[in-house]
Amino acid sequence: MKIKQLIEKIEGEAELDFTFKNGKIEDVQINFGFYRGIEDILVGKDPRDALVITPRVCGICNHAHLLASVRALENGYENSGIKVKISSKANDIREFTLACELIQNHTKWFYMTILPQLEKLLKEQSGENYALKASYLSSKITKALAIFAGQWPHSSYAVPGGVTCDPTYVDVMQAQSLIDESIRFFEQIITKVPFEEYLAQDSLNSLHEIGGDFGRVLYLMGMNNMAQMGYSYDRFIVFGTCMFSQPGKSMATTVSNVDVSYVEETLQKGSVAKAVNYKQKLYEVGPLARAMVAKEPLIKSLHKRYKDSLITRVFARVHEIALLLDYSKNLLNNLVLDEPSCTLPNEIPLTEFEGVGVVEAARGSLIHKTSVKEGKIENYEIIVPTQWNLSNGNVQEKGIASKAMIGSLTTHEAEFIFKAFDVCSVCTTQ
Amino acid sequence: MKKPKLLWLQSITCNGNTHSFLNHPELFSILSHFELLYHPVLETAHSLEDLNAKRLTCDILILEGSFKKNGVKKLGIEVLDVVEYYAKEAKHIITAGTCATFGGMFKTYDPENISGFCYDEEEQTSRYEMYASKLISLPGCPIHPKWLSYVLMMLVYDKKIPLDTMHRPQELYNITVHTGCSRNEYFEWKVDTKGFGLKEGCLFYEQGCQGPYTRGSCNKILWNDVSSKTIVGTPCFGCTEPTFPKTALFSTKTNMGIPAKMPLGVPRRAYLTATGIAKSFKIKRFEERIITYED
Amino acid sequence: MKIADKKALKRESIIQVSLQLFSSHGFHRTTIPDIAKKLGMSVGNLYNYFSSKDVLAKEIIKYTSEVLGDEIRAVNMLEISSKDKIEKIVTIYFTMAKEKPEMIEYFLRVYLSHREVFKDGCEGMTCVSGFITEIMIFFDDGVSSGELRNQDFFSAFGLFMGYLGGMVFLKGEEILPHSLDDYIEDISRNIYAALKSE
Repeated sequence: MKIKQLIEKIEGEAELDFTFKNGKIEDVQINFGFYRGIEDILVGKDPRDALVITPRVCGICNHAHLLASVRALENGYENSGIKVKISSKANDIREFTLACELIQNHTKWFYMTILPQLEKLLKEQSGENYALKASYLSSKITKALAIFAGQWPHSSYAVPGGVTCDPTYVDVMQAQSLIDESIRFFEQIITKVPFEEYLAQDSLNSLHEIGGDFGRVLYLMGMNNMAQMGYSYDRFIVFGTCMFSQPGKSMATTVSNVDVSYVEETLQKGSVAKAVNYKQKLYEVGPLARAMVAKEPLIKSLHKRYKDSLITRVFARVHEIALLLDYSKNLLNNLVLDEPSCTLPNEIPLTEFEGVGVVEAARGSLIHKTSVKEGKIENYEIIVPTQWNLSNGNVQEKGIASKAMIGSLTTHEAEFIFKAFDVCSVCTTQ
Repeated sequence: MKKPKLLWLQSITCNGNTHSFLNHPELFSILSHFELLYHPVLETAHSLEDLNAKRLTCDILILEGSFKKNGVKKLGIEVLDVVEYYAKEAKHIITAGTCATFGGMFKTYDPENISGFCYDEEEQTSRYEMYASKLISLPGCPIHPKWLSYVLMMLVYDKKIPLDTMHRPQELYNITVHTGCSRNEYFEWKVDTKGFGLKEGCLFYEQGCQGPYTRGSCNKILWNDVSSKTIVGTPCFGCTEPTFPKTALFSTKTNMGIPAKMPLGVPRRAYLTATGIAKSFKIKRFEERIITYED
Repeated sequence: MKIADKKALKRESIIQVSLQLFSSHGFHRTTIPDIAKKLGMSVGNLYNYFSSKDVLAKEIIKYTSEVLGDEIRAVNMLEISSKDKIEKIVTIYFTMAKEKPEMIEYFLRVYLSHREVFKDGCEGMTCVSGFITEIMIFFDDGVSSGELRNQDFFSAFGLFMGYLGGMVFLKGEEILPHSLDDYIEDISRNIYAALKSE
């Protein structure tokens, strides 16, 4: 039996084609409808215009696209012999603003997708307007981002050589209080555990102490068998260097190296989204992947018992909020203002180069590849995290998210498993 | 009194305006004045299916994204078809963002066939005649949340919004992005900033800043209540204008060193005369860095 | 005639006479009393119009700049090619050098050669803005129409004005065999050849 379902409010929509057999889902094909053409729009443009155009791929993760495109440019310059040395100040500011965007993403996913969907699925509606919490934290954290980047969404403050901003301690202190406010929110509303205590956890035993909204989600998921569903291939990949890990892949717990040149995109029938693989295999990307490759102790502990189940996946993303908040606080504390913000001149006399930029965006590894000839972009490729998780796979091996949904009894349950991957439709259809 | 019914529909978009509005510090107080029928990310009583089945009625229609005559479908139905259905009976139509207003970023993929709802860059589309009387244009990429809340609250309080010839609220768009920029003194005395990364210097002469001729309130109603592009040293890219996006955005186009585009409404001779005079003086304070950090 | 107009005319005649005297006797040797005597007005009255010789010197450069600027502005307003405009501007410049030699001479021999007189109150291009603005507009129009090559302003300005000023200077030194009119065609052609886009 086949059922088509439109999934809404995933930064756009996606269509899921379910195949049921004996009352269980046997297969899921994930299709996206409309291609908006950013990769084509970039062709023929000035290479630096990518810093303005690529954020317009996505309203919720535009900052990650900005950073991927500036890294692609810098990589291109380096490949052509121009030394690019970014000051630690500029690097830290970029890391800070990226962390803010990730926190915003995970918070919205948690409060506007996971909590309400879980309550609906389990018929445990609390009647609370969770979106209010999402909006509150999102506006605070993006305000901290905007202090350095000018605005959110759609900043273009990262340029080759560093950043355009020249902050003062007035700016840094203001950002610091906004981070502190966000940490208090995490402590008092999300977990009801003091922040330092939360970060000090390293085993499953302390998880039952988590209260607040996160505690509620863990409780509901635990009581409803969600540690036994959502298993995929237990294969993870990370291409970007992020706060606590280097690039790598993890097959269950065995970690090894990766080389971004082996990433390959392929067309998919019936969908405008391209599939992507690494040496012909599919991998999961995102917070769980990052934690597995970094061998983060708490996630390792959770994974040991629950593997890559729904509960592990959800936990990893919420947990990353805490890690990112801690990281942001440290970045601000250690920010040295008396260093140059940008170490390259505006005009670089290069008319031909190729570069790759990788960023660990909220949903996973984001890759931009720019190819410039005669001073204009000849080709531009954008590979987004959702492509990894939602590639449809083939007869031999199903897609990552598809595999996670196999065995579910209802489309509603499958929809929840699907959304645990934090899907971004607009990114996938750029 | 019944609350006005608010409907937020999307066409070809990145969701930027949705997420910008979601950042409004008083978001839910503003929404409390309306019955929100459908929204791209907030929970609503109605689904896309209800919308497509044209079972709903709306008073205020917010449009996000640029439009193509055909080929953009949701649930097998052309988006434009659904939009026009609700546009006909809505009392007010707000085009939120440059894509919905003029065509914007996504128009550049297929300039012949993609445009804004009532405008195709500066030209009126065939839809203009029918909807002009209830149109409010809010260009911006994305819009600032307070531009939208201003319009919504004016509608709630039944106040007439003074609009310009392109239906943009004058109170938001009759000033330029240049108004209130923290680098104004450097503009006045023609002190360029060399490259990027300094709070000193004006970005108009070399770094491509379009602030002086771009209509918008970005340096008056600050972004995220705290900042703006030019405050952090990023040039304005003219995102509220029908011409967005232009090309070579980080460089100022000049003819023999003379900016190709003058500040809004300023005649060339006036600008060049004033510039010539200002450039003749070297004001020491503007040549120095504002802050010195001691080791 | 209104008082204001009378005053404006008087002011202009002071400037004209000053220019002639500076030209015939030299800038430093000409005094305010000399100028007042030539005009038949009292020195005190002259000081009502220009409070010192330095102030007079600066006002003269602004005046000559406006006169030349107005003529070039008229050319800029014409709907003709940059090539034709060049010829007209050269003609204006050389005509002025022929009919009012004291004006161009003042610019070359007083303004450019006595910078110390002008350093306070005529910084940079403040006092010649009437003229400079019109040259900028000429260049801006030429580049945006595609007829002239886009380049640094001063490279182009130096070429155009340096060339013309040099020719007038040579004429003044009685080195040029022919009248300035005879050189208009070749000079216009050379300037256009140097400035046009490839």
